[in-house]
Amino acid sequence: MSLNNGQSLTASGQDLTRNSSSGRAPWEDARTVLKPSTPTRKPKPPKPENAVTIAVSARVLFTMEKEQQIYEQQGMEEYIKYQVEHETEPFSPGPAFSFVKALEAVNAQLRELYPESEELFDVVLMTNNHAYVGLRLINTINHHQLFIERFCMTGGNSPIGYLKAYHTNLYLSADPVKVREALEEGIAAATMFTPDKMTEVSETQLRVAFDGDAVLFSDESERIYKAHGLDKFFEHEKAHENKPLDHGPLKCFLEALGKLQKKFYGKGQRMDCPIRTYLVTARSAASSGTRALKTLRSWGLEIDEALFLAGAPKGPMLEKIRPHIFFDDQMFHVEGAAEMGTVACHVPYGIAQRVPKKGISNKETCSAPK
Amino acid sequence: MVSTVLNTDVKQKDSEHAVVVAVASRAVFEQGAGGDDGVYAEGMAFPLLQALQKVNKRLLEENSAESLLFDIVLITTDSQQQQQSFHLISSTKHYGLEVSRFCFSTEEDFIENLLQNNVHLFLSTDRHEVSQTSQKGVLSALLDEYTASCPSEQLRVLFCGDAVIRPGTNQTPASRQTAQTFSAQLGKMRQKFGISDSPLSIALMTSCGGRDSCGGALQTLRSLGVSADEAYCLAGAPRGPILSVLRPHFLLSNSFGVLED
Repeated sequence: MSLNNGQSLTASGQDLTRNSSSGRAPWEDARTVLKPSTPTRKPKPPKPENAVTIAVSARVLFTMEKEQQIYEQQGMEEYIKYQVEHETEPFSPGPAFSFVKALEAVNAQLRELYPESEELFDVVLMTNNHAYVGLRLINTINHHQLFIERFCMTGGNSPIGYLKAYHTNLYLSADPVKVREALEEGIAAATMFTPDKMTEVSETQLRVAFDGDAVLFSDESERIYKAHGLDKFFEHEKAHENKPLDHGPLKCFLEALGKLQKKFYGKGQRMDCPIRTYLVTARSAASSGTRALKTLRSWGLEIDEALFLAGAPKGPMLEKIRPHIFFDDQMFHVEGAAEMGTVACHVPYGIAQRVPKKGISNKETCSAPK
Repeated sequence: MVSTVLNTDVKQKDSEHAVVVAVASRAVFEQGAGGDDGVYAEGMAFPLLQALQKVNKRLLEENSAESLLFDIVLITTDSQQQQQSFHLISSTKHYGLEVSRFCFSTEEDFIENLLQNNVHLFLSTDRHEVSQTSQKGVLSALLDEYTASCPSEQLRVLFCGDAVIRPGTNQTPASRQTAQTFSAQLGKMRQKFGISDSPLSIALMTSCGGRDSCGGALQTLRSLGVSADEAYCLAGAPRGPILSVLRPHFLLSNSFGVLED
C-alpha cells in the first residue's frame, strides 16, 4: 500500500482503500475514510508511566483560525458543519507543530540508541472538540506524517481528568482557563500563542527555553521585587544565596528533559546532544543569578545555557537561540518573544498575574492568580 | 413460566418504535429485605435508569408525540425477589421510575422472553447472565461498579471500537444485527438534540489500534447513523484510568461489555 496524499474519503465517498481482511459482514466493512498513514511498521507507543507525555490541544498543533472564527461568530452547529464539510482538507501547522516534530526527531534518535526502551516522548492530542471533527484531525495527522497515536476528543468535557490519566508531563493549549486548571492540579502547563512570524528552528536538535522565577522556580523572589523594589531584591537574593528556591510549575518538565539528556550522554553524545535547554532570566549574573544556579544544582538538574539578561528584553536573545518553545510567566516577555518569531508560552502562575508589568494586554490582568 | 405485570403509573410506549431496554431488577434495587416500609434501597443501576428517563423527558419536550423512546422493563429471575414482587413494584412506584412493565420468569425461560418481547438491549450486573443472553443473540452489556458512580443527568454510552471494526469470532449474524439495530436507534435519538446540552452522549474508545483504527471505527459508526460525541484512542494505554474519567453507564462491545484490563 503506497502512501498517496490524494487518497482520502468522506462518509459518502468511494471506497479507495480497503482493508484486506476477509470474512466481514457488510455493516462492519470499515470504509477507510482516511488518508492511509505511513505503511512502514510503526513503533508501538510507550506506556504512559514510562514516557514523557506531552499533551497538545488541536488549536496549538494546527492552525484553526478560520474555524475558530466560525465558532465564535456563528456558533457550534455551523462550526461542526464546516468541519465535516472540509473533512478531507488537512489543517496547516500551528505553533506547536515544530516542537512536536522536534520531539519526534529526538525519539527517532533515542530508539536508535535504545531500541527496547520506553523512555521516550509521547505526544497525545487532547482536545475539547467533538468527535465530529475527529476524522479531519486524523486526516491531518496522516497528511503531515506526525507520530500521534493517542488522542482524547472530549466533546466539551474538561480534559483535566484525562491529562492525569495519561501522567501528562506538559500540557499546551490555546485556552488559558484550561491551562490554569491544569496548573492547579499540579500539571505543568502553558498557554501557547502564535508568533507573528516563525523563525526557522532546528529539525534535529530540540531546544527548550525557560524563564526562571515563577516558571522553574517559585515566585517567592518576584514577590519581594514587586513589594520592595530591585535593591531589596538583590539584597535578599545575596543573603539567601545558598538557600534553594522553592520549585515552580515547570521544574518537573525540566527534570524529565534532563533524564532523557542523560541517556544521550551515556552514549557519548554530550557535546551535540539532541536536547538542549536554556535558562533565559532577567536576573543578573553578578548577583541574583548565583542563587538560581545553586538552586538548580541542589535539585540535581543541569541546564545547558544560562542567559542572565539583567533586565534586558528577551526577544533578541531568543531570536539567536531559536528554541522550539519558550516558557515565561509574564505576558510582557511572551509578547516580546512572539514579536521576534519565537514560539512563546505563558505560564499563568504566581504574583505576576496579579500585578502586571507595563504594556501587558488587558485580558491577562483579569486572570485569577494561583 | 413467565408472568408480566404492567405498571399502571406509567404510560405504555409504542412497541413499534420504542427502544426496549430490559434491566435485571437486582441491578436496580439492593437485594435483601426492603426497609420498614418495604421500599428497597437504590441499586447500582439507579443512576442509569434516571438517565434513561431524562432522555425520554427531553425527547418529549422536543416533540410531545415522540415514539422513539426508551421502554424500560424490569426482569426478575431470582425466585426470592419474585416472592417479593409486591415490594418490587411498590418500590418502583415509590421512586417514580419510568418502568413500563415487570417480567417475572424462571432462569430457563427468561431469554426466550427477552427474544419474544423484542428487547433491544439487556443490562445486568450478573456476568454469567449477560454471557448467556449475548450468546443467544440479545445485545447485552454488563453493569459494574463504574455504573453506580455515573451521572443521572446524562446517559453516557460507550462503544468499544476494537469490537466495532473487528468483532469477536463468536458473533453470530443475528447478534450483529441486533447491535446494528440498537446503534441506529441510539443514533437517531441523539440526532434529536443539539451538539451541546444533550441528555445523551455517545463515546467511542479504541484500546489497541492506533489513530487509523479509531478513525475507521468512527466511520463505521457513522455508516450506522451514529455520530459519536467523544472519541478516545488509547493505543495500548491502560483503560482503567480513562474509564474512571469517562464514566459511561455501560459499554457496548462484542464481549458482553466486559473489558479485561
